[in-house]
Amino acid sequence: MAEEFNTESMLDMFLYESGQLLEKLEGIILEKQDADCFDDSDINEIFRVMHTIKGSSGVLMYENITKVTHKLEDVFYYLRESHPDDVPHMELVEKVLAVSDFVTGELDKLKNGDTPDGDEKQLVEDLDEFLGRLKGEIKKQGIEMPQANRHVEPTQFYITPVAGDDSHFYRISIHYRSDTQMSNLRAYSATYALKEVAEDLLYTPDDILSNEASADVIVAEGFHMLLQTKSSKEEVIALIDSSEAEEINFDELTKEEYGNALGEFGREDAMPAPQPVEAAKTDDKEAKKEGPKPGDYVVKTKEAGKGKTLAKNQPKQQSIISVNVEKMDALMDLIGELVIAEAVVLQNPDLKVPGLELSNFQKASGQLAKITTELQEVIMSMRMMPLTNVFQKMRRIVFDVSRKLGKDIELEVIGENTEVDKNIIEHITDPLMHLVRNSVDHGIEEKAEDRTSIGKPAKGKITLEAKNEGGKVYISVKDDGKGLNKEKLYQKALEKGVIENKPMSEFSEKEIFRFITLPGFSTKEEVTEYSGRGVGMDVVVKNIQSISGRLDISSVEFEGSEMTLVIPLTLAIINGIVVQVGNSPFVIETASIKEFVRVGEDDLIQEPSGEEYIVLRGECYPFIRLNEKYDLPDSVNKIEDGIIVVLEHEGSQVCVLIDKLLQEQEIVVKPIPPYVRKVKGLSGCTQLGDGSIALILDIAGLLMHDGERR
Amino acid sequence: MAEDLLKKEEMDENDELLEEDDSQKGMFMTFQIGKEFFGISISYVNEIIAMQPIAAIPEVDDYIKGLINLRGKIIPVIDVRTRFKMEPCEYTDRTCIIVIDVKTTMIGLIVEKLADVDTIAEDSIAPPPSLGRKEHEHNKYVYGLAKTEDNVTLLLDPEKLIKQDDIVAVTEESRKEEQA
Repeated sequence: MAEEFNTESMLDMFLYESGQLLEKLEGIILEKQDADCFDDSDINEIFRVMHTIKGSSGVLMYENITKVTHKLEDVFYYLRESHPDDVPHMELVEKVLAVSDFVTGELDKLKNGDTPDGDEKQLVEDLDEFLGRLKGEIKKQGIEMPQANRHVEPTQFYITPVAGDDSHFYRISIHYRSDTQMSNLRAYSATYALKEVAEDLLYTPDDILSNEASADVIVAEGFHMLLQTKSSKEEVIALIDSSEAEEINFDELTKEEYGNALGEFGREDAMPAPQPVEAAKTDDKEAKKEGPKPGDYVVKTKEAGKGKTLAKNQPKQQSIISVNVEKMDALMDLIGELVIAEAVVLQNPDLKVPGLELSNFQKASGQLAKITTELQEVIMSMRMMPLTNVFQKMRRIVFDVSRKLGKDIELEVIGENTEVDKNIIEHITDPLMHLVRNSVDHGIEEKAEDRTSIGKPAKGKITLEAKNEGGKVYISVKDDGKGLNKEKLYQKALEKGVIENKPMSEFSEKEIFRFITLPGFSTKEEVTEYSGRGVGMDVVVKNIQSISGRLDISSVEFEGSEMTLVIPLTLAIINGIVVQVGNSPFVIETASIKEFVRVGEDDLIQEPSGEEYIVLRGECYPFIRLNEKYDLPDSVNKIEDGIIVVLEHEGSQVCVLIDKLLQEQEIVVKPIPPYVRKVKGLSGCTQLGDGSIALILDIAGLLMHDGERR
Repeated sequence: MAEDLLKKEEMDENDELLEEDDSQKGMFMTFQIGKEFFGISISYVNEIIAMQPIAAIPEVDDYIKGLINLRGKIIPVIDVRTRFKMEPCEYTDRTCIIVIDVKTTMIGLIVEKLADVDTIAEDSIAPPPSLGRKEHEHNKYVYGLAKTEDNVTLLLDPEKLIKQDDIVAVTEESRKEEQA
């Protein structure tokens, strides 16, 4: 059991860590893409990232990842050690990105439970060739060239981590029962557990994972560890999995005895050093000594109080824990329940006895309401994530596409720290990617001359901006390219037959721009690799609408265009108004309600076909009777008796007849169970204060349905 | 990571089901609709709750009565009587909802009257006669007839009962939507 558990958590850890490292790596690369070269700290960082991934993929035996990262590590080792002058920076950037892509691909395969079987040969050859060229150039200049990473035999001396006054030293020997299977993995799990508290940990045999024969040695001779830690004896014992162990010997040593014992564990140069040495340096040497083996995990000295730092972790990750999204969702659901339960209690009909004195209850319930509101805010903020990662992906796209198309483009990013609900981030990444690609591909002019001839700088510019305004998030992609040509758009839309045959003057500017979001419309004559398959913008709009957002387009010809995604901050809780039709409650999102009016029979216009319209202040609106549409009994039929709600969505309005208004409240949106077929005009359901269920009206769906009917 | 967890959970669930199958083998929840007795393998049954207010959903098949709130979980309920195309009848205080779990879909079945939990030996279950019954329609959901004491219990296949087509249609639709 224990070893199974460990490999699994190791894989998870590996995926998570490597994913994070790769993101960081891309960040560095893209930041420096326009620079002439990487500076020392970048080179060190990239080296470190490659080294870490190499090490952990080695432990998990993903050879192709190990090979590729090892090669790139070699390249950066060379760069770091010999500081060559004319490094083809762009080529280097491409190489790093290629490696990062390869590893990301393999990690994805692992995540899906597949074997990482990507072929690394080509990449390794490329890197070899690249490294060879780098060295070749240096040689020509007659500078002495250091050997590649692997071949350097570093002078090995180990500096023992400094022991604090409160450090304890232990010698632990575990003897497993003679029939124990895979004792090496058990031993490994023990070291893995101890690493958490260890300041220093040595063990013998030291090749427990890579050498299966070590299992026999462990069974025969026992597994011996030397531990330096701040934890007490009891704490350490508790960490060791004692199942299958026949005997665990546990001796506390003095500092001197410990120093002597180090020799037995293969550290010749065992004199405790007076000062801790720069961590990176130690890391490096040690790694070379131990290679990608469990030894890689040997723990460094660290400051007191930082109990959990592994050698590879960065200090800043300490204040962050990663939580499974499902758990977050469960918590979110529970808090939703709590909000509802609170309403059930506070609005309980039992309390509504006339003349009942409830002042203490009222005070207590006020307090409760305050706490639940705060709780709700906290969980919402926990789900909020900055757009940084999404924007980083965009940088990558601009970089890739602009290079492929041979356009010189600069990307400016504003407000990448704007926070959005995690679910929303998942939904906007693809649409945003499409918009950015479009801007690079279609927006910016093909040739620099096209730009300079009309007085624009030769370098194109795309601005990616996010801001938070009035409960909505605005994300815009702006380019200073050729802009949209209304005439062309109109002609094209006519040709494709996606619009009715009306003269151009009948369409407003906005309407014409919106043609590009119609299915089957693409202004680019040729299909390119990146965009122009004609399935683009309509999908973008659809995706955005699915999270109740919208796309605004504005453009000035020859000056550029701007696409703005307007999306809600969060999906899970909305402000809604509960209305009643017949016996059924419905919820309408407050933001989409324009007004409530009472009208008379005179304002109703009926077409011979049965279509009805309502005239309000001289304007004519389509009219939907919810009771007829959804076949609800016992409801108001005369429009004088009911209330008209005017709803607005993306500029089009509709009037809906309801019986009465019930209340306004915060609504926790829940999906309608998938077993029930999707009903047009309903976007979900929710629980009301009394525990009953109300359906949430989807304005876009209502309008669409209405449009189809016409 | 999440996928792994999910998979694991699924496996756990399957294990559980298998284990349950052993101890609950041959046990059936029986209920009465009209004059007939029906049975459902107890391994599908999650719980039994009293009738409660149902929120109707417009524009769906008439046997889907609507949604109920089961301790915060919103689940659809179907009326077994209407499902069998019988005349609907008034809900009384004996009417109750059997919450079943079919392929991770939770669904409530409205039944007129619960009868019992019976153990039915496998050899007393006979396949439904392919001819002879008035309505072939019903045979779709009935996979066996079991004799208990003095009456016959029709054993239902819940997967067919909640109409396989529905689930397939929905998932296909959602898949299409995802692709688009």
